[in-house]
Amino acid sequence: MSSSAPQPLDPERRRWAVDVGLVLWPSFLASCAASLLFFAAVDPALLRDAGPRLFADLDREAGYALGFLFFWAVGALASALSVYLIRTERSRPRAAGSRPP
Amino acid sequence: MTTPHLRLVPASEPAPFYAAAEKIYPREISGRFSRLRRAAVILLLGLFYGVAWLQWDGHQALLFDLPARKFHIFSLTLWPQDFLYLTLLLIIAALSLFFFTALAGRLWCGYACPQTVWTELFVWIEQWTEGKRTRRMKLDRGPWTAEKLLRKTVKQLLWVALAAWTGFTFVGYFTPIRSLGSGLATLSLGTWSTFWIFLYGLATYGNAGFLREQVCKYMCPYARFQSAMFDKDTLIISYDEARGEPRGARRRGTVARTAGLGDCIDCTLCVQVCPTGIDIRHGLQYECIACGACIDACDEVMDKMGSARGLIRYTTEHALHAKSTHVVRPRMLVYAALLLVASGVLTYSLLTRTPLILDVIRDRNALYREVRGERIENAYSLKVINLDDKPHAYRLAVSGMPGLELTSPVEPIAVPPGSVSTVAARIAAPAADSGGVHKISLTLTALDASGISVHEKSRFIGPSP
Repeated sequence: MSSSAPQPLDPERRRWAVDVGLVLWPSFLASCAASLLFFAAVDPALLRDAGPRLFADLDREAGYALGFLFFWAVGALASALSVYLIRTERSRPRAAGSRPP
Repeated sequence: MTTPHLRLVPASEPAPFYAAAEKIYPREISGRFSRLRRAAVILLLGLFYGVAWLQWDGHQALLFDLPARKFHIFSLTLWPQDFLYLTLLLIIAALSLFFFTALAGRLWCGYACPQTVWTELFVWIEQWTEGKRTRRMKLDRGPWTAEKLLRKTVKQLLWVALAAWTGFTFVGYFTPIRSLGSGLATLSLGTWSTFWIFLYGLATYGNAGFLREQVCKYMCPYARFQSAMFDKDTLIISYDEARGEPRGARRRGTVARTAGLGDCIDCTLCVQVCPTGIDIRHGLQYECIACGACIDACDEVMDKMGSARGLIRYTTEHALHAKSTHVVRPRMLVYAALLLVASGVLTYSLLTRTPLILDVIRDRNALYREVRGERIENAYSLKVINLDDKPHAYRLAVSGMPGLELTSPVEPIAVPPGSVSTVAARIAAPAADSGGVHKISLTLTALDASGISVHEKSRFIGPSP
């Protein structure tokens, strides 16, 4: 928090923070776009008819929210895999001291 | 892409990419551009917090009513079927961004981006509670005294309150804000409204209070690709290196040239005021959000030194290299043409929009039915969607074949505002004329309003000739 004296994060923790950001942020943006497109075409109230057991008590607001969170989760999974593959790539050691191209 | 250089480094050396982010204490500044930014902040945030409460014709003036799946934009009501307009609006927004970026650089970033606008507001609170730049730095370095605790607590309380109010207002554009307000007053808000208010409030607090310039540096995709819209005629904020260098301190009244110096006195005020903490004298950097704070700072110093303003100024790369700047150029013409076309299509389609949709589906069970051996009847299922915010009654008419008649419905079809009515229709034609497949047209016309009428094509099928 900003209320303490300026204490720079140590590189390892900062790298972790950057990775979390790289996973959550682009997937959040993608989820906004996906929700917009999906719910423009699909009324979440209709999901009740699609899966009565799964969505029995679903009202529209819950439908929007769950849809958004679902898209976010799927996007985050994709981002997480990308970050993992980049970080574990042998030809780009992470302490090479050079910025990524 | 450049080939990475092979370089042996000790394993313990931290990678500069993850170098610690230093906290930035932007110095307060006054001048032309900071006045402009302040005006933009007040205007934009005033609109954001105010328009949500505006009523229009008995409903909230601007409401993207997600629970009811309809958008109120003043007297216009849009339904999910009107998705085209939203798409067009987004395309126009993107094209305007391209146009203004190519013309004047990062105007969006410096004056209109919510990140800039809310950060500015949060910084005002910080300056009000913790004081100016040097005091804030001293306060952060110092021990936890009662005064520090008080100042920090007041700041955090104000920040949290502002963030919560922002979240509430934001949700108020998607659920009617007045019922949201009474829900809040009686502590009976819905689960999901609470969730979104909390999430958006948290995002505001995190982005404007805590992350600030890091959003622009690390999270914003636009900051990375905006250079694609830049060319040598785009307005940028730039340090005039030819005039400023060699930089250095000097006594007041020293004539720079005779002392072998440029106009830059190396006071570093331009760095201190920068909200993203860069040194504009290193040239154009993608971290620069073009807020103009460094121009204001430098102009003030130039005034004091008795030199001409504009050592740091809005200029173009061509102007810096003593070439002429062209405002009208192919890139601008292309962006402008696309923008005009998209705006034209949107305006035209909004002006000619008929708030009525008719869907015609032929009955799948029977191709046709003979009535008393002399007439052939076809059955249809009609979906009538009233997109207006008033109820309407419609009369159906059919044409396209000799002797074609509507058997039912003969009564007008009444549809409440924003609703769908499914109507079974039967259409008949003389048996002698109805062999084979015929193209017919159904016309639905509002009886209680002029100009609301739609045509829909379908088929009429009779016995094979």
